Order: sequence, then structure tokens, then C-alpha cells
Amino acid sequence: MNLLMSTETARVLMANSTMNTKMHPSLWTRREWLQRSGGGCGWLALASMLAQQQSTSAAGTLNPLAPKHPHFAAKAKSVIWIFMNGGPSHVDTWDYRPELVKRDGQTLADFDNKTGFFPDAVGGLMKSPFEWKQHGGSGTWAPDLFPHLSQHVDKMAFIHSCYTNSNNHSPALFMMNTGVTRMGNPCVGSWITYGLGSESDSLPSFMVMSDPLNRGLPKGNALNWGAGFLPSVYQGTWLKPQGEPIDNLKPPAVLSNDRQRAQLDLLAAFNKEHLQQSAAESELAARIESFELAFRMQAAAPEALDITREPEQIQKQYGVDQKHCTHFATQCLRARRLVERGVRFVQIYSGGMENQQSWDCHADLVGNHRGFALEADQPIAALLGDLAQQGLLDSTLVIWAGEFGRLPVAQKGAKPGRDHNPHAFTVWMAGGGMKGGTHYGETDDIGMRAAVNKVSVRDFHATILAALGLDHERLIFPFQGLDQRLTGVEPARAVREVFA
Amino acid sequence: MSAIILSAWLTRVTGAQTTAKPLPPDHAERMAKGLVLFEQTVAGLLTQHCVKCHGGEKTRGDFDLATREGLLKGGESGPAVTPFDVDASPLLKLITHEDEPKMPAEAAKLPDAAIQQIRVWIEHGAPYDKPLIAGKKPPRDGSVVTDADRQWWAFQPLKTVTPPKHVEIPAQGNDVDRFILAKAKEHGLTLPPRADARRLLRRATFDLHGIPPTPEELAAFQVDQSSGAWNTVVTRLLDGPQYGERWARHWLDVARFAESAGFEHDYDRPGAWAYRDFVIKALNADMPFQQFTHWQLAGDELAPEDPLALSATGFLGAGVFPTQITANEVERTRYDALDDMLSTTSSAFLGLTVGCARCHDHKFDPIPTRDYYRMLSTFTTTVRSNIDVELDPQKSQLEQQTWETALAPLTNAVQQRETQLQPAFDTWLKAGAETASEPTWTVLELNELKSQAGAKFTRQPDGSYLASGPNGNSDVYTATVSTKLRKLTGLRLEALADPSMPQKGPGRAANGNFGLSRITVRAGQVGGELKPVALVKPQVTFEQNNSSLSIAASLDDNPSTGWAVDPQFGKDHAAVFTFGEPIDFKDGTQLTVTLEFQVNSQHNIGRPRFEVITDVEPSLNAGTLPMAVAELLQKRKIGGELSDTERKTLFDWWKTRDADWRTGQAKVDDHLSKRPKTTTEILICGEGYKPMRHHSQGADFFEQTHILDRGSTDRKRDVATQSFLQVLMPGGDEHRWKATPPEGAKFSGRRTAMARWLTDVEHGAGALTARVIVNRLWQHHFGTGLVSTPNDFGQTGTKPSHPELLDWLAAELIRHDWKLKPIHRLLMTSATYQQATARSDSDANDAAVALFLRREPQRLEGESLRDSLLAISGKLDRTMYGPGTKDERSPRRSIYFTMKRSQLIGSMVVFDQPEPLVSQGSRPVTTVAPQALLLMNGAQVREWAETLARHVETEANSATDFSPAIQRVFAIALNRPPTGDEFRGALTFLESETASYVRDGHATPRTMALADLCQVIFALNEFAYVD
Repeated sequence: MNLLMSTETARVLMANSTMNTKMHPSLWTRREWLQRSGGGCGWLALASMLAQQQSTSAAGTLNPLAPKHPHFAAKAKSVIWIFMNGGPSHVDTWDYRPELVKRDGQTLADFDNKTGFFPDAVGGLMKSPFEWKQHGGSGTWAPDLFPHLSQHVDKMAFIHSCYTNSNNHSPALFMMNTGVTRMGNPCVGSWITYGLGSESDSLPSFMVMSDPLNRGLPKGNALNWGAGFLPSVYQGTWLKPQGEPIDNLKPPAVLSNDRQRAQLDLLAAFNKEHLQQSAAESELAARIESFELAFRMQAAAPEALDITREPEQIQKQYGVDQKHCTHFATQCLRARRLVERGVRFVQIYSGGMENQQSWDCHADLVGNHRGFALEADQPIAALLGDLAQQGLLDSTLVIWAGEFGRLPVAQKGAKPGRDHNPHAFTVWMAGGGMKGGTHYGETDDIGMRAAVNKVSVRDFHATILAALGLDHERLIFPFQGLDQRLTGVEPARAVREVFA
Repeated sequence: MSAIILSAWLTRVTGAQTTAKPLPPDHAERMAKGLVLFEQTVAGLLTQHCVKCHGGEKTRGDFDLATREGLLKGGESGPAVTPFDVDASPLLKLITHEDEPKMPAEAAKLPDAAIQQIRVWIEHGAPYDKPLIAGKKPPRDGSVVTDADRQWWAFQPLKTVTPPKHVEIPAQGNDVDRFILAKAKEHGLTLPPRADARRLLRRATFDLHGIPPTPEELAAFQVDQSSGAWNTVVTRLLDGPQYGERWARHWLDVARFAESAGFEHDYDRPGAWAYRDFVIKALNADMPFQQFTHWQLAGDELAPEDPLALSATGFLGAGVFPTQITANEVERTRYDALDDMLSTTSSAFLGLTVGCARCHDHKFDPIPTRDYYRMLSTFTTTVRSNIDVELDPQKSQLEQQTWETALAPLTNAVQQRETQLQPAFDTWLKAGAETASEPTWTVLELNELKSQAGAKFTRQPDGSYLASGPNGNSDVYTATVSTKLRKLTGLRLEALADPSMPQKGPGRAANGNFGLSRITVRAGQVGGELKPVALVKPQVTFEQNNSSLSIAASLDDNPSTGWAVDPQFGKDHAAVFTFGEPIDFKDGTQLTVTLEFQVNSQHNIGRPRFEVITDVEPSLNAGTLPMAVAELLQKRKIGGELSDTERKTLFDWWKTRDADWRTGQAKVDDHLSKRPKTTTEILICGEGYKPMRHHSQGADFFEQTHILDRGSTDRKRDVATQSFLQVLMPGGDEHRWKATPPEGAKFSGRRTAMARWLTDVEHGAGALTARVIVNRLWQHHFGTGLVSTPNDFGQTGTKPSHPELLDWLAAELIRHDWKLKPIHRLLMTSATYQQATARSDSDANDAAVALFLRREPQRLEGESLRDSLLAISGKLDRTMYGPGTKDERSPRRSIYFTMKRSQLIGSMVVFDQPEPLVSQGSRPVTTVAPQALLLMNGAQVREWAETLARHVETEANSATDFSPAIQRVFAIALNRPPTGDEFRGALTFLESETASYVRDGHATPRTMALADLCQVIFALNEFAYVD
């Protein structure tokens, strides 16, 4: 595979990187640049670019998805991000706030009723309706929503003091996925794939699974896994919940394997004749190779997604046989098979669009959270156990995070719920070099706001990158005259306190 | 240390402190002490702990303390140090770890003694004797634009250039070559020979039309031995309508064109395609680029009667905009929308990244934040709107006449039938007006229907009430009615579809939905007290789910749950309730029905109809009887005499029971519903139009634009008055371009002013605008622009490889009245354009490529690849203009795909079509496996291959011999015969594939084998890369 970045991009880059060494930057060409840049996408680390010459085949040199060195040594090689869509309530999941029990029903003084989405339905403080207990060596408090996950708390590093920039789903989803509330920036998965390439030469490097139960896509749809201004090769491949999961993976019915093979052989022969007429050119050679890769992918992708190849006992652990979680168990098990085969980044959405279709518990907090916890608890727990069992947990960063938290006050209704809260939410990460059982940061007594060691979404992103050995200030892409980065221009800090 | 140095520093301190409090009286003494402290310890501390990340290897947080100016200016979070004032020096709080981020970052806290030194040094004015890094210059003051800034090449007036005369150019060349060859000479390079006729014609045809030439077109060119043969080809291609379709696509990338809102719902924008059609039409008509610019920014101001000028403003409205906006986000999203308009305008026309100045003065280009907001104010009151326009008056008039002519016989037939029915009606009436016994709903004629939010209701012929006017965020409808009917057993509430609503309703929300949070009924004797009526056994035609959005949820107390019908839009819906006890009052019943809508913003029913049923158990699907008819029938039953009006009322109902009448009337209704629309709904952007409204908890726009501190709406400064980039208005007088709107105009004229400035070559930005567009033309003809960063002519872009040529071309454009076709012709008739291709394999060749002395093959864009496959397979539907489609199977050109942001066309995206979010000047060229998969396995690709196979089979009669078919496929797809090896390879392949299909018992083995070959040809590198 081959990426030739836009000439514009290349020239900007040349201008930036070589102004001092070359008299006339516009005289630089694409090929010259590629030779200099070493590992194909070496432009991500301009400083080390020239030093880090890698000698690989022509095709390898041009492959935008060739595996690349991180900026520094790190444990995590791949990521499974389980996106808790709709914004689960932190005070009802992982942020134990006993003060809410004491002050249950009291009016919260000075509360700005524009904090959430429904200014006219603000109730009093509301205690968590679930039973809480301490678990594991770390004594982590967890509600009875998570009978399976609570057995794994010593694998999880919690950040309780996250906050975000929007009280509205779509901007908050973009914030969490791309670092800005507006549309159109590259998402975390794209940045990481751009920074590290893929370890698989026959599977897409970044895959996304959304709710397969017809409850909709996360708000903002595919923009949540878009590559923005990065080349489209880095965008997430969305596995369609219905029909063929990946476009054009199956040959037309009339084309048997033999006939298609014969086509590709003739194509290669014709292309080679053409290639001999032009000077040896890696761009054309890479295109020839891309057909062979496509042929391999036809077999590899269905194999990777086929969970029936797993032993029955493994399938059972995940809950594939349990009606309430078959779909999510299948997705979690697929995620493990994908990272095992070198896929860099997998994102799974728990829940569909909004309201009762996802963790967005405006009404009936109890029913909503019990329902979605029942779907997700056993499969995620099994994923953690299975990754550990297979020796993959060290190299796989598992993330549990949604787009925001919920308010400590009730949203009024026959069955009360909780409204959006941008000021506080909890995320946890497991594996990939995390220090299990740690709790970083705190909210105030009632969980209204992040209070101690506050962590912005930019900090959180810097942390994810750091876990993979990427420095958020060095992972850059020149666009519109700027060195763009995931964490933007405002300062950001990796929360290394949660690293082992 | 000498006193002279000290005083020099003091001068600067005073200069930098325009707004701070006065200096302490003993400042000179203190500064002197401070300087000693700096030299002895502080400089060392700052060098050791700070400067590496703040001015040295990095400039974190945009804070550079290598110079005193940098220290005082501070970084992203504002000034770091106020001399003499420790409390107003945030830096100190960071090093004492009182504030975040703790400094030095990721290192131990400084010893207390060191912190104390720095504290004292600040108290003593924080003086420097020299920069911490030798030779470091103080940061540029980005808020001021100087004449030095205007020295940047792109901001200079156009130079008067004459093509170098001393250069010898080939016979096939023109003045363009003089520039190229003059440069060639400097580098000891020459121009390669001219390409052969086949490659030339393919190059030009792909270039201007995006599809390959036909074998016949090639033959015509090959036989034309006249000296003007090439000119003839270029003229033919520029005159073809495909030129506009091909080149509009380039501009649509620049205009970040799409036809949906993006964000959470990504609602379609009806009529957004009108902008795409404008671009195609403007290019085909060779509209002067000046006018092209003016209309896109201010078509509504400049030519409000011209639908094309209105369509052009779609440029401003093509950006993303959230569909759900909370109260806290209203202002910010409005500034985002304005930023989108300004950033796109400046990238597209000026090749400048003006948007960078939103939060701070531009880091590289002389664009102060103040300039940004003053320019931004151009769009303050500009909104996106849908309006109806008559795109083609002549055509619609003709359609109207035809339609009217066809209507007359249909209405006559119905009238005739009514005359025939009259005697039977009289007989029926005399006989007692018996009706069939099936239960029917009686449609209520309300006394009143009131909306709390102020919606107006108009009663429709079918007894429903159509809402118009204000659509409240939430609303309560109260219906009151009195009826003489007895023994009422239930209520039916219908929510009917109507073309006046979004998605045809039945709700008034932007997606056509409604959310009925609560329904209550009260009843009593007329004039008496009304009591609540229990509603039980709800039934419904459709409900969005069976919990929070079900009909049952409309009976509970929760205002955020209730009946909704997503995604069953554009259809009639109904809910039926049984009354707990039948309602029966001898002297008439009074009823009130209250509908509350609080589930979601603006989710109000748009066309309700209320019905009651008597005597029997209510059922969802029973028929209806108008209330007046029901009462007349009752009156007739008890022997009452009917007046003429009453007879007429009853007849109008009775006749509907006649099958023939119904058939006739159905034809009339059907025809009426097909009345040709004379107008088309298009998307425009302008002032004084009804804003396109989303689910917003606030205003659509504000009357003023403020200068914002760090881009934050929480930090508003002065109101911004309109002006433009100072660097591109050397006279400094923005009033020069002012446009005074005519009396009573709805618009401000501000966009016209900006348009004038953009194209004013003498005093405004016109020279740059002309350079940017001719560079785009060059870029798409030669693969790279003379400026290789087409959207960035600023400091971070590249400088032109041939600055004189660029200025000369810009001047030529202006000389040709800003028409683009003369420039296309100029470029294409140059010898430089006509040179043979060769791939670069050495540094020396790379240099030649950069100087346009070596032309590399260019990969087809996704649109061209697909359009070409359609064209050669004979499937291409050349219908131009109008609404597009999201159906990948469409045989129209790819530019007519609907650009829905959440559903971009897979086969376009995989071939690098950029996401339409911000202006894109050039596309990346990637080669990835999904592209190969599409060509190997894509259903359409296979279909096109089979179509071409059948076509060639018939044409070349390959029933027994494949040879002619092979020749024909090569001629159609590649405009050349196969080589000997290719021919033999193809023949062997066809024979073995045929045998394989025969083995499988396929019905048409030879056709399938040929299709297999066509698919191989489609996938060739030679096909994907144009020489």
C-alpha cells in the first residue's frame, strides 16, 4: 500500500523542515521527501525524521500504514475503547459519593439550571439508587450494576476528575473523540493509526462497532471515527451491524476464486508491461501490490470477525449464549480477535443514539442503567479476563469512557433520571501499562464538579497517547499552515500517575 | 553595567506598559538592583529550569521568556509577569505550586531560596541585561500591521511583466513557455518533446471533461493535419458542458460543499444542490471570476431577482452547523458559523488562513485578531434560508398550461355524475335517510383551538386543523367543542401529515416528529362544570417505542416522555382512547381536550383532527362522519325538515358513497396533486430571510459581532465594525468599498463591500484574488500549482516557483475581463502543457518536475475514474442539474451525488474525496487496498464490465473469435491497440475463462469471460494514471 500525500502537504512539510538546509524548498519533490522521511509517514516526528532512516523495500517505504516506532518505549500497542455512549452517570457507576445519601432530596443551592439539557425539570439532590460495595485489594467501591466487572477493579486505573466542554451529546462526543467540540478533526483512533501504523497487513488498522440492535448510531455518526484533515487511509472502518460488515469484501457471485485469481494474474502481467515502459516507479508498484493485499484481505477479515472459531467455553465466558448480551459479547470477542491479529485501534459503542437508546438516562435512571449494564458487564469483564489469559492485556489498553457525566440532582419525572453534566465524569483504563486499582482525581462531595487533580479531555488524550509511547506535542500533522495535533494549542498533560 | 544600558531598558518598559498602573517612583533604583540580581542568579535559574521549553527547544504554551518582551507578553494564558507587582505575576504562583500547571513541568519544585530570588527580581521590575538565548529577537507584535509586512510577495501589487523575449520557444508554444524556458535555462534544463496525439487528446479530455475521448474523437484529431488542430480540440472541450461538471468539482472542494447540516442529526438541506448547479452553469458560461466571487458572497444583494445569483450564496451556507444547540452553546455556535463563512471565504479567494486569528494574532501572517473580527462582522446578520424561486419561468408556464388543459375534462365528468345522482338522493332522503350500521367516528367541529405558544390553526375541509405561525419550544393546545351527540364512548386524536411541515410532518419539529407528553379530557353539560374524564385502553397506529415514546407515556405525569413517531414521517397517525365511563348529557355535551408537548423542543403536532364515537367500543380504524352530517342525519331520523343549505351539506356527503363519483373525483384529486410547481426550493444565504431553524434554545443570530478575547464568548470586547485585512488595504480606508443598500432593503450591503474589496486590484485584495485563482487553474492542468500550497499564500505556504509567470497570468486574467476560459486556453496551448510524460527517478529529474520541465502521469480522481467507467461502458446518463442522489448505482456523473455528510458515497471517499468540512485546496493521493477491493468486487464495477462486454460482443461479433472484441475494448478504454503480448495474454485468458464458465454451466460463458477482461482493463495502472 502506498500513500502519497498531497503535494501541498508535502511541500508545506518540506518548507517547515528543511528551510535551513535547502536553498529553495519548492524544489523538493515528493520522492525526495519520501526518501528523506524514512518510514513513510516519518513526517510525524520531524526532528527524528532524518536520523531515523529505515531501509525497507520500496513498497514498505511508501506504505502509510507500515508499523512505525513510537516516540518512546511504552507497553500499550493497541487500544480497545468501549465508548459508553450517551454519558453514564459517574455517581451511579464508579464515583462513590456517600454525601448524596445524606443530602438526598435537598435542593442544591446556586445550581445553574442551564447546566444540563432540561432547565425546567431540575429536581433535588438524588442518592444513587444502587447497592454499593467495596471490591478487590484496592477496595474500590462499585454498584451492584457490575457483578462481573467489579471482580476486575484491581486491573483498572480510574480517573474520577474528568471534565469536558459541552453539555450536549454531539459536541461532547466530538470533544471526546477528536479533542474539539466542532466537527471535522481527526479522531483519537486516526491519530494513533497515523502515529503507529498497523501491525496487520491484511486487516484495516482501525475498526469501529456500533449498536447492532437498531438503536441508532452515536450522535454525529461517522464523524466520530473520521480522519478529518488526515489522509482518509486513517479513518475508522465501520463494521456495518447488518449485512456484509465491510464494503466490497466479497467478490461478485459470478467470480469464483480461480477466476478472480486469473484476473489478478492478467492484471499483474499487463501492469508489469506498462511499468517497464515507464521508469521504475514505486507508486505504480505499490498500486500493483494493493491488489494482492486486497485479495488477502478478502479471506483475512471474515476470519477475524468469525467468533464461532473460538472455543465454546470462551464464547460462554463473554456471554455469547446469553440473550441479553449476545450482541455485545460478540463485539467484545471480535475486538480481542482483532487486536490479536495486529489491529491498532478498536472502538465499540455501548448503546445507540440517545435517551433510552443509550446510557443517556434522562428518565428512569434505574431501568436505563440496569439495562445497559446488563448488556455490557459480563462481556467487558470477560474481555479483561481473556486478554489477561492470552497475555494480551499488557499490550492492550482497554478504555471505558463516555462523553460526559450526569448531575447529582434528579431530572424530575415519574421515574427520575439524571441530566447531562459536563463538569465531572469518571473514566477507567485497564491493561496497556496501567497501574490497576489506582484512583486519580476526585470530584466534590456530591460529584457535581471535578475538584482535585482535574483532568481535561486534552489531558486524557495525552494520557492515551503516552500509554502508546506517543508524545502529544510531537504527534503533529501540517495543515492550514499549522502543525496540528490531537491536543490542540492549549496545554495538555499526560496523567502518568495512573501508569505502572 | 552602565547607566546607558539601563535607561535603554527603561524606555522599553515604559513603552510596553501602556495600560498598566504607573511605575513606582523609585523604579529606576529598583531596576538597577534587579539587574544585578538577574545577572548574578536569576538568569541562571531561568536558563537552567525554564527556557528549554519556553523559548529554546520548544515554546510550550506559546510562552517564550528568552527576552523580556516575551516574558511580559506571556503566553496562552496571558501575561506572566507584571514588573514591580508580584501579586499580578501569575508565573510566581506556578513556581510556588499554588496554581496549575505546576512549574517546572515534570520536575522537582525549585528550592525556596531560588523562588525568593525570582520574587525579589520581579519586585525590582524583572529587568534583563540581554536575552537568555544569544541573538534571540523579541516576539513580533502581531496586533500591528506595518509596511514591512506588506513586503511579502503575495501582498504586493501585480508586477508589470512582459514575457522574456530572448527565449526561443517551440512552434507549438506560446508566451507561457517563455517564462518556463527562461527558468529552464538558468538550471541548464530543456523542455521534453511534444506528447503523441493519443496521449495529448487523453490528457486534455480527462483534464477538461473528466472522461476519456472516444475512438472516433481520437481518429478525428489524428487526421486533422491543420496547424490549428490542437486549438480546435481545446475549443471543443472548453465548449462542452462536461467542462463545467468536471471543473465545478474542483471548486466544490474549495467551497467545502455538502448538502446536509452535519453534527448529530445531519439533516438534509433541501435545495442545497442549487449551489452546485450555479458553479457548473457559471463555469460553462465563462462567468467572469469577479462576478463569480461577487455572487457567491452577495448575490442576494447584487441581483436579488436572478435565481442563479441567489443560488450562488449557497457558498456561504454550505458549512456545518449543529442541529441541537443548548442555551449555553447558542453564542459560541453562532461565532463558529461566522468563522466558517470567513475562513472559507479567505481560503478560497485569498489563499490565507485568516481563521487562525480567531484566538490570537496570526502567528505567521500579518493578520491581527482585530482584523479578523472586523472582517467577521461582515456576516453578522447573514443567515441560511430556504426560499422558493422560479428557476426557469418559460418552462414552468408551459407546464402549467398543459396541466390546466388536462384538468377540465376531469372536473366536467364529476359534475355530470353529480347531476345524474340527484334523483336518487331525493328518493333516499324521502325514504328516511337510512345509513349503514357500521360504527363511525364523528369529526368534531371545534368551537376553538388555542395554542399557548401562539400557533394559528386553519380548519381544513376534512375537519383537521393546520397549524402555522410560531412553533413553540413547548406548547399546550386546548380544543373546546360542544356537541349534541349522546353516549360518547371514546376519542380519536389524529396527527395528519401535510406538505407544509418538515418531512411532511405529522410533527412540526425539523425532522417531522412530535412528542405528545400528555393528553387530558374534561367534559360536562353545556354551561355546567367540566370534570376530568379517565382515558383508558390507548390504541395507536404507530409509536416510536413501547416505553418512553409510546402512547401510554402520554397518559403519565412525566413531561419528557410521550407519544412520538420517528421514523414514520409523512404519514397520518392516530391514537384512540376509551372513556372510563360513556359521556352522556341530554342537552348537549361540552368537551375540552388538552394536548401538551414537552418531550422535545418544537415537537408539536402540526395538523390535529379530533373525533368522537358513540354507543360502541372505540376502534382504531373505523370510518369518519363529519359532525354536521352526523347531526343532520339525526335530525332527519326524528323527522325534521331540511333547508336547502342542509340538503346541500348532506348531498355533499352522500355523493361520496357512489363508486363512480369517487372514481371521478379521485382522478381530479390526483391531477390536482400533480399541479406542476412553478417554483423550486433552494438554499441561500442572505440577510432579512427567514433563518433555517434547528433545535436551538436561543437566537439564530445576534445584531452585533464583538471582538472576543481568545475567541471566547465569555470575554467580549468592543463591537466590531466592518473592515478588511489591513495588509491588503494600504490606503486604510474601508469606506472605499462601502455599498449603500437601496431604501427599504433587507440587507446591510456589508457582503457587497467585502466582495468589492476582494476583487479591487488597485486598492484592495484583487491582485491576490487573481493570483490565487490562476494558480488553481495551473494546479489542475499541471498537477501542482506555481504556488504548490493553493490554499496558503502566506508565510507557511510555499513561494511561487515562477513569480513573474504567476503575476503575468493574473494580469492576463484581468485583461480578459476575469474570464477563465482564455486562461485555460493559454495554459493548454503552451508547449509546456503538451510535453510528453516521464516519471522521475533522480534528484535532477525531481528538480525538473518542480520546474514543470518534466511531467509525471496524474492519478485520476475518484469522480473521474467512476465517470470514465460509466462512459466507456456506455451507461453514462448525461442528464445535468437538479437534485442529486445518494444511490451509488446512479448512472449520472459523480458530481450529482448528494453530499450528505454522514453518508458520503463510499466509492468517492475511498478514492480520497475530502470530507466536506473545511476548504480543501488539493487532495491527497492514496493507494490502499479498499480501492482495489472496489475495482475487484464492487457490484457496479462488475455491472459496467458486463455491459461493456455485451456492447463489444455485439459490435465486434465475437461469437467465434475474440480478436475483434479485444481490439475494441482496448480502443474504447485506452485509445490504442493491444501490444502483441497483451493481445496474446488477453486471448489466452478469455479462452480459459470461457472454459471455466462452460464447466460451471453458465448461460453466456463468452460474455462473462469478456466481462472478466473488461474488469482487468478497468483496474489497469494505465487506466488510473493519465499521461
